[in-house]
Amino acid sequence: MSFWRDTVADVRQVKRGWRWGHRAQVPRSAEEFVPPASSSIYPNDWSRTPWAAAAREVAQKVGLEPVFRSQVRTQVSGLSVLDGLTGPVIFVANHASHLDTPLVLLSLPDEWRRRTAVAAAADYFFDTWWRAVGSSLLFNTLPIDRRGGTLSATPGEVLGDGWSLLIFPEGTRSTDGYLGSFRMGAAYLAVEHGVPVVPIVHRGTFAAMPRGVSWPSRGRRQLTIRFGEPLVPGEGESARELAPRIKQAVARLLDEEETDWYASLRRSAAGQTPDPAGPDIAQWRRIWTSSQSPAVGPDRPRAWGR
Amino acid sequence: MSRPGFVLEVDDRTPPLLVHEGLGFRLEEFPLGTRVIYPPEPIASIADVDGAIRDALLDPVDSEPLPALLFPGMRLTIAFDDISLPLPTMRAPDLRGRIIEQVLTLAAEKGVDDVELIAANALHRRMSAAEIKHIVGERVFRSFWPQGALYNHDAEDRDNLEHLGLTEKGEDVEINKRAATSDLLVYVNINLVAMDGGHKSVGIGLASYKSLKHHHNAKTMVNSRSFMDHKHSEMHSSAWRMGRLIKKHVKVFQIETTVDNNIFPKPYDFLMKREWEWSIKDQASALAMRRGLAIAPQKLRHKMFHDLRSVYGLTGINAGEVEAVHERTIRKVHEQQRVKIEGQSDVVVMGVPYLGPYNVNSTMNPILAACMGLGYYFNSYLGQPVVRQGGVAILYHPLDEGFNTLTHPSYVDFYEEVLAESTDPAVVGEKFEQQFATDPWYVHLYRTSHAYHGVHPFYMWYWIAHALDHLGDVIWVGGDRRAAARMGFRSASTLHDALEMASSTVGGSPSITYLHNPPHLLADVR
Repeated sequence: MSFWRDTVADVRQVKRGWRWGHRAQVPRSAEEFVPPASSSIYPNDWSRTPWAAAAREVAQKVGLEPVFRSQVRTQVSGLSVLDGLTGPVIFVANHASHLDTPLVLLSLPDEWRRRTAVAAAADYFFDTWWRAVGSSLLFNTLPIDRRGGTLSATPGEVLGDGWSLLIFPEGTRSTDGYLGSFRMGAAYLAVEHGVPVVPIVHRGTFAAMPRGVSWPSRGRRQLTIRFGEPLVPGEGESARELAPRIKQAVARLLDEEETDWYASLRRSAAGQTPDPAGPDIAQWRRIWTSSQSPAVGPDRPRAWGR
Repeated sequence: MSRPGFVLEVDDRTPPLLVHEGLGFRLEEFPLGTRVIYPPEPIASIADVDGAIRDALLDPVDSEPLPALLFPGMRLTIAFDDISLPLPTMRAPDLRGRIIEQVLTLAAEKGVDDVELIAANALHRRMSAAEIKHIVGERVFRSFWPQGALYNHDAEDRDNLEHLGLTEKGEDVEINKRAATSDLLVYVNINLVAMDGGHKSVGIGLASYKSLKHHHNAKTMVNSRSFMDHKHSEMHSSAWRMGRLIKKHVKVFQIETTVDNNIFPKPYDFLMKREWEWSIKDQASALAMRRGLAIAPQKLRHKMFHDLRSVYGLTGINAGEVEAVHERTIRKVHEQQRVKIEGQSDVVVMGVPYLGPYNVNSTMNPILAACMGLGYYFNSYLGQPVVRQGGVAILYHPLDEGFNTLTHPSYVDFYEEVLAESTDPAVVGEKFEQQFATDPWYVHLYRTSHAYHGVHPFYMWYWIAHALDHLGDVIWVGGDRRAAARMGFRSASTLHDALEMASSTVGGSPSITYLHNPPHLLADVR
């Protein structure tokens, strides 16, 4: 009996210690000694074939969406910006949680959702075959090399094939819910391929499921998402010139979330848009603020309150 | 690319860490904030080993090339390190055999007929024919063993010892007569740790008790701080004085090698990996091995570990004048083992593995376990010990392997009679050493069987003298209570119990450092 009891204890210890079912963690003091990730990236061109798209439609509509809706509440604004567009476009959004991708995809009209691919970190989502297959099938991800600082040729080809792209220009999830610095990849692609950039901001995903958590917290947290006016690269405009415009658009949208459309426009015109990187206060206060779900009014008038 | 050693600070992301404990290991959850010292990964090794050996012999340091030292009609003696090095035993072919083959090839070309090979085992047990064959290789063994020209050094063979005189401090220098009266003595070593090699090779490996007792005693050992730094070690200072005297009588051509720390071959390689980098396979291997060891009989567990052979890479080879060679050797050893650490801690934790220098193909009895932890691991520092004066050492070992009466007969009496009277190294040395050193039965077993010399357990106890002098308490986790008590220590069931027991010495929230070895590491404590 003792042998089996000890075996169970050993298995439990290893399960807990090595976080079975979760991504392994590196102790903070050992982070600088982590070897570079292996360069083997699993190709996923197959994920944009009609068969894979059909399988994804089933996975998203039958699997992902019901689960997502059962765990969080969403409020979508600004979708009308897509009315005048025919695609492809580059969606650019802030990044605070693994909920961001399903939130954006499931907020898009079906015809846009079916033709949108998600740029995902190759070292994170494509390091094992099963992770590559899973994320490709569910979210239509394509690998991006974020360590080298440049995008591989694949996103350009995907845009060229008429797919829209969802890019998180911060390159990683925020550690405190506020906006980090933007990389140049989205602006570069927009200029190179002459496609509009649609800024998106969302709030509440950090509160619902921050880093290190694998499932949304209980209580159906509120998420909000807002689509902004598309930015079209000007004639002769370089990526370096477009990138600040994208960031400014995201910052203004965040301000709009806090105030209202007209107030945010006036502040933007006066150069007084709040810094999206957040106030210079103690880290815990930043996290404290971000861990509050956004308060919203009812989606539609209700006859009786609940 | 080899990663350097480093100091981990246990945090909420740290998985349980592997701790060796005899014929097994456990996964320990250390308190947050514990410092864990990881040795560097195996450094780059030499691809062309035979080429490197040839280069070293033909282009030595501060010496003429070996062929120039060889001539017809000369007496050539080749001495080599015994089975206590390296640990674990090297997978064949052994480096020493490959070097000796090249030395003998050169000697044959020069027409040297009078050649003898001596295992420099000092007061260690005689090696068996198979063990010697493993070291020197089949070709050398076949050429010399049947003729009696390949043998173990016998420190009790009065007719074959040569007294070379006294050092300036009055220390007797008495070594193997054949070696002392040779025209050239070639010494082939494997420098596993920084305390090996240099003048210690000939001056200790080929010496007699009369010579060894000058530095193998409690007083010298307490003042060796540390053994891994020969410039600050009383024992090495004495060996160096003796070595310089030997140099006046016999030409020594020293060949020193260093190896990487690639000690655990597959499927045991997970034992060397950093735990947070364990793959699913590594985790499964650890679990399977732990559960397998839990039900395996002692004999099987012993076989499983002791049959393990390591595939070392040669990281350096230098030949020539002893001291010049040794300086280069030490630099390579440091490159492989040195880890810089800031400051001492209140508690040091060490896992004592299944193997030490004195239980190869034998058992790790409680005295050897103490010597491994409080002798080797505790003393493996530069500057100052990892643990502060008056601090606590927590060691892991079951202390339950018992004694092998073939290899360690005098240990049994030392444990039953001497330690029952006193555990103070100075007292036991003063009172009992002579009796054990000259006991005719122990001498007989040393000379004719495979027994460590009668005085050897005293040397083990002197080894830990510095630790006993420095530490406030010693606690064995998972150790047999009676064995621990016999040695003057205490035992605890778990680390948390041990820390609770230690709190009376170092308080309730001590700073803790865990030395994550093997592979061996050298703590450079600032």
